[in-house]
Amino acid sequence: MSLQYLKEAVANNDTEKLIRYVRLHLGDGNEAAGRKEIDKAWTEALKLLLDVPETDREFILKTLEERDAASLAHLFFHLHFYFVKRSGEWIHDGTL
Amino acid sequence: MTAHSDETKQLRPGLWETVNERYPGSMITKSDFVPLASLRKPLSESRLTFVSSAGVQPVGTMPFDVVHPVGDYSFRRVPSDSNPSDLEIHQIKYPTNGATKDLNVIFPVERLRELATEGVIGGLTRNFFSFIGYNMDPERLERTLAEGIAEAVVADGADVALLAPA
Repeated sequence: MSLQYLKEAVANNDTEKLIRYVRLHLGDGNEAAGRKEIDKAWTEALKLLLDVPETDREFILKTLEERDAASLAHLFFHLHFYFVKRSGEWIHDGTL
Repeated sequence: MTAHSDETKQLRPGLWETVNERYPGSMITKSDFVPLASLRKPLSESRLTFVSSAGVQPVGTMPFDVVHPVGDYSFRRVPSDSNPSDLEIHQIKYPTNGATKDLNVIFPVERLRELATEGVIGGLTRNFFSFIGYNMDPERLERTLAEGIAEAVVADGADVALLAPA
């Protein structure tokens, strides 16, 4: 999708077009695969927290407090691929 | 739609429809007529550069941003005297298995040096150029990435450019 297409979707509050784009991006052009990839990233993140390990909440809160929203959004995409890779089920053709 | 001659017809009929289905709005058409540039001297006297969308870059340089939803509009200079071990690939949208075994299949740095040594081509520019092809803003791609590479290619004294999509 072109950027113009996505910006029009934002202007029209067409969230279905936007989330479809996200799924296509994360699924390398396959929307169904993208849905699974999103599920995969979230379940991988969840699994890491089930034993309630110590986490660096100071880092997390400081990052959320001090960093701009765009950098956090970018980080969000990085984290998706990080957890997908960590899951061991890598569907993408190349490497990060 | 106008009829195409054999030379200009779509080599993969249906490709555009497929891409438009997967990425609606991503395909652009341009009415600008850009004439083909002819070689001004024989290939054996021409300095060649190589431009690739394979996401190849020198080890240790900032990795291409393969996760950004809108793409990465930067490019890397890849010294043409690099060894494959000096280079790495950051790209997730095409199979890199073969290229990981032999980078020359996607970024033929050694093969081009051989052709220069054999005199088939006159020489190589100091740098080759690399970027990733996943970019959702065609205007920005043209305005920044393509222009940037074009200027760098000219600055490196290229007579001819070999373009290779990944």
